[in-house]
Amino acid sequence: MKKKKDVALIIVGVVCIVLLLVSSWYSITFNDSRLVVPMNFSEYTFCMKDLPMICSVSLFCLYILYLSILLVKGIIKKNQNQSLNQCIQKINPKLKKKAAAIIIAGIVCIVLLFVSSWYSITFNESRLVVPMNFSEYTFCMKDLPMICSVSLLCLYIFYLCVLLIKGIIKNNKSQFSNQYTRKINPKLGYLGFLGLIGFLGFWSYGIDKTIFPFIFFMFFGFFGFFYEGKMSGTLMDEMYKENKLKASAKANKISLGIIFLSLIILGQGRIMVNLDFTLIAFVIVVALAIALEIFLNQYLLYRYDHSEQIEESEE
Amino acid sequence: MPDFECRLKKFRQLKDLTQEELAIQVGVRRETIMRLEKAQYNPSLKLAIDISRAVGAPIEEIFIFD
Repeated sequence: MKKKKDVALIIVGVVCIVLLLVSSWYSITFNDSRLVVPMNFSEYTFCMKDLPMICSVSLFCLYILYLSILLVKGIIKKNQNQSLNQCIQKINPKLKKKAAAIIIAGIVCIVLLFVSSWYSITFNESRLVVPMNFSEYTFCMKDLPMICSVSLLCLYIFYLCVLLIKGIIKNNKSQFSNQYTRKINPKLGYLGFLGLIGFLGFWSYGIDKTIFPFIFFMFFGFFGFFYEGKMSGTLMDEMYKENKLKASAKANKISLGIIFLSLIILGQGRIMVNLDFTLIAFVIVVALAIALEIFLNQYLLYRYDHSEQIEESEE
Repeated sequence: MPDFECRLKKFRQLKDLTQEELAIQVGVRRETIMRLEKAQYNPSLKLAIDISRAVGAPIEEIFIFD
């Protein structure tokens, strides 16, 4: 019953996204891109051709709302699980202090940057703040605060990168020798909502033809963290490894199939009005396919590993 | 689903072991032992040998293929 509900949820999500894309195409092709590109809503008057876009956006918003309610219910249920809370509370206090120090240092760097920018704008004719020709640059004492704060910020970013690389190397080494899956907080799954930033691409394209934000649709894949979190601390025995390979193969097959189909359909070049829209559609489809692959890797692994309810230990 | 009959539960109970205890002995999860007993998982050769030694019964008597 639960499986059917999960499948139905995914199908509804896919249908909502497809309807949104189709209604956007309809609006761009037959309705002068109304409700797709930014417009002045104070002068908005309803027109029948706006109906598909309005309906698809409303449906999508309702779907997101329903997902959010399910997630909140899931978290409330999870918080009642004492063993998970104990796991979270086992974080080393030294690590907490180190994390706090790094965050405070970052905040100090940003504050110093803002203060030096204000000083430069107020007393130094915005030197080193607005774009300038560095081939004609001559040093002046008033530039010192801006130079120092930017250098400090660069050093901080460099330090963060070094920490990140060290963490990755350490993690890879421990995973190699560790027989248990890494501990992930399921709440990281909320990062999946960053995928909604992808919709800003419709806005940015209307302003200055920028399509970069569409790449953010990949972040929908982070919803998989919910399922990876549920599998935290699991012994990676042979059955787990087999299920992982099976899940990975199926996820890759599905996402590659979607990319292949989109290549065949969009490669015609005639489906959309012009090549710009064809490119945008292709970028969106590839980003969503990658998100689906990332999500399905974790979801299918969880499904294969928990295909039946766990029975009580037998004596 | 693998096509064999598994009599692991019978031999496990003869040895007075729980699924958890057997799982720890052979280095797998309880879920794996559970799936094995229901013949829903085909074990590797190494796991089959480890299980055979843990329950003290020959492999061909624990896992019966048609």
